[in-house]
Amino acid sequence: MKIEKMVMAGSLESNDLLVTLSPSEDNTLNLTIESIVKKQFGKRIKSIAKEMLKEFNVQKGNIRIQDMGALDCTIKARIETAILRIKEENND
Amino acid sequence: MFKEKVLHNQEKLKTFLESLGLKKPEGLDYTVGIYYGEKLVGTGSIKGNTLQGIGINCKYQNEGILGKIITHLMKKSLEMGFEEIFVYTKPERIVNFTSYGFKVVAKGKYAVLLEWTQKGIEKYKEKLKELGVNDTQNTTSIVMNGNPFTLGHYYLIKKAAAESTHLYVFVVEEEASVFPFDIRYRLIKEGTKNLDNITVIPGGQYIISSLTFPSYFTRDEDLIKAHVDLDLEVFCTHIAPLLNISKRYVGTEPYCPVTKEYNEGMKLKLKKCGIDVVEIERKSLEGDIISASKVRELIKLGKIEKTEKYLPQTTYNFIKSKEAGNIIEKIRDSKSRH
Repeated sequence: MKIEKMVMAGSLESNDLLVTLSPSEDNTLNLTIESIVKKQFGKRIKSIAKEMLKEFNVQKGNIRIQDMGALDCTIKARIETAILRIKEENND
Repeated sequence: MFKEKVLHNQEKLKTFLESLGLKKPEGLDYTVGIYYGEKLVGTGSIKGNTLQGIGINCKYQNEGILGKIITHLMKKSLEMGFEEIFVYTKPERIVNFTSYGFKVVAKGKYAVLLEWTQKGIEKYKEKLKELGVNDTQNTTSIVMNGNPFTLGHYYLIKKAAAESTHLYVFVVEEEASVFPFDIRYRLIKEGTKNLDNITVIPGGQYIISSLTFPSYFTRDEDLIKAHVDLDLEVFCTHIAPLLNISKRYVGTEPYCPVTKEYNEGMKLKLKKCGIDVVEIERKSLEGDIISASKVRELIKLGKIEKTEKYLPQTTYNFIKSKEAGNIIEKIRDSKSRH
């Protein structure tokens, strides 16, 4: 799936996260994780994100996650919503 | 629970911000209000791609309201087509924004510019590097809005170019003028085609226009100072070193007090980073200084033919063209100077 337009899902409120997907200029997959608990959970968030991207077959694009201390299920849900928005945009 | 609602009532916004000791910014595109029950406890606004007028009732601070406001405004500006978001704030407020993923572009004495972008200033610098020429002898610069490009601008560029091995002309990119950026840029490029030692460069978000510099966050009399300081901080730390710029040319300013003060501040600040400011007497015609504001004034009065003597052929042709129709109409209907 190709990201053609920037989309966001989630928020910057406590215990949530903001997921921003945008087109990558060099056609690669760039995953950026920012988290208030990056030391403890950075790796975990990354592996969740990678799993989701694989599941939805996202191979190119910039994925920025700004985590404000969200639970795993929230992280999954927000990433999924963002990806579904890409699908919607692409169908428009 | 807190609720987010669009706030249309500008009077209400004004009263709220004033109760916090803040001034309401002018020309806002969108405002969100955060309500606790029926009570307005926080607001934030967008003007173009900058966040402005963020204020939270101190009784409700540390309740996550800022995160709500920022998220709401980010999504709104994305909807409006902006993928990069900027904010000017006071130095002591940096952490409020960096904790939401904003990065500091430049920190002046009175104000800070932060951005929420993919690559931001780094990307702009990559672009500059590509456009740059390898010349360390006498590389100079000039910054202009060109609203629109006149023979006065041309004279300034020609004179500066003649004194330099290479001249970079930065065009203010912010959309705060009646002539849109792509037109201003195009007319400058077309009007200077005959000069071969210049490069015309889009100013990005980083050549800060005084027109969008928010007037709310500091007292009026400090406003210009804060703006000059921050704008030049960006120029000194990011732009000039990259292109080996040793001089900045400006036209003398007889009319506009803002520009005059800007030029004075610029001399002091740039000197400190080793850049000389060279003032050039502005070009006159029949005793009148040629200026873009005069051209707009004539257009406003419906005397388009009279602008010919102030304009390069390329600009005059544009103004007479069909493409300029909307702009001409806007100028005729406008009240402001810009």
